[in-house]
Amino acid sequence: MRENDRKSGQFVVPGERLGVIEEFIPGTGTYTKDGVIHSQITGRTLLDMLNKKVSIYPLIHGVSVPKIGSIVAGQVSNVQSKSATLRISQIGNKFLSGNFTGILHISDASLDYVDIMYDVCKPGDIMRAKVISTMNRTHHLSTSERNLGVICSFCSHCGHMLTLQERGLRCPKCGKIEKRKFASDYGKG
Amino acid sequence: MRKTHEKLINENSTRLDGRKSNQLRPIKIEVGTLSNADGSAYIEQGKNKILAAVYGPKELHPKHRALPDRALLICRYHMAPFSVQERKSPAPSRREIEISKVIREALEPSVFVEYYPRTSIDIFIEVLQADGGTRCSGITVASLALADAGIPMHDLVSACAAGKVDGQLVLDLNDIEDKEGEADLPLALMPNLNAITLIQMDGDLSINEFEQTLNLAKEGCKQIHALQKDALKAKYAAVKEVVEEK
Repeated sequence: MRENDRKSGQFVVPGERLGVIEEFIPGTGTYTKDGVIHSQITGRTLLDMLNKKVSIYPLIHGVSVPKIGSIVAGQVSNVQSKSATLRISQIGNKFLSGNFTGILHISDASLDYVDIMYDVCKPGDIMRAKVISTMNRTHHLSTSERNLGVICSFCSHCGHMLTLQERGLRCPKCGKIEKRKFASDYGKG
Repeated sequence: MRKTHEKLINENSTRLDGRKSNQLRPIKIEVGTLSNADGSAYIEQGKNKILAAVYGPKELHPKHRALPDRALLICRYHMAPFSVQERKSPAPSRREIEISKVIREALEPSVFVEYYPRTSIDIFIEVLQADGGTRCSGITVASLALADAGIPMHDLVSACAAGKVDGQLVLDLNDIEDKEGEADLPLALMPNLNAITLIQMDGDLSINEFEQTLNLAKEGCKQIHALQKDALKAKYAAVKEVVEEK
């Protein structure tokens, strides 16, 4: 980029030269190599002349990997007495092309005390959870918030989808009442 | 062995397809062709027609292949059975496996793989019609597919071949020139960083000729880079304007 046509809102592709570190502080979406600031992503430049900062406003919202604090959703693949595994297929609002695996421990499952994981979720349920740690190469999840937990579940007796009623989750087909840690918006999503 | 064609370059120094020695084939690039992939791109370079798709970053299976400090790039270069004159077996050949490897190694320096540890980024390059120089077109289009997926990159990778045909140094060889010519030098370049990520050669060139050919290929890469940028701009700058109108 030449000196005189530097202004905010310019379209840039990865690798494009934005300036040198003597003139700007590199912001998000940029990287520096040999004292030169380059763009990392496709987007538009944002020049903050007051703070002398250059960053890129992304035009592509592609990549999403689970980070600490992100809200994820997925299907419960395995439940043991003290933990459950979740096949994460959605991060925030973005659906993934692949999967990530998350682990929900019983101590993070609910605001209240739960005796056994089978009272929280069962295999096949769709759950919303929050990533609380990425220690030991695994995504640790938590559902101990009102808006987190099972958002869709199936009867363990007949397989029909459970509906939320005053007494809890009930199967409309066979009348079985089941226990879950369901989210506040269960069945609406 | 020789020669189906008397001359590959005629007395007006025009090549068989009517190009000058330093001229690229006509290129058409489209970004975001496929809706199911995270990123995709399509290129037509002369008679070459290549589609690329990118998935990821996603969790890698089997897990033991995952790298603890960075993403694993998985690349598949594949030629469709109908891409060449005689039907090609759809099974990956020795040549395709090797090209997959060199394309992966050409693209890896451009991607911020360290941002996504223990994941994989899958790149699929499907050659629908081949007419020489498919590995270069494949790298060009795969790099755009990576950009379309929104994966942070050091730079776009542009690739182009140059070589020697009938004693003349020429840019962007097609199939006949590649087979009948004296030398072929595919090159992949990150133009903003001026870094070469792939260089191969077959045939014979003197040191002097090699340097000239290299510079010729570099010029070709820079022309292709401008086209790559236009293709991204055509998709994303237009999207932005639609949003602004609302």
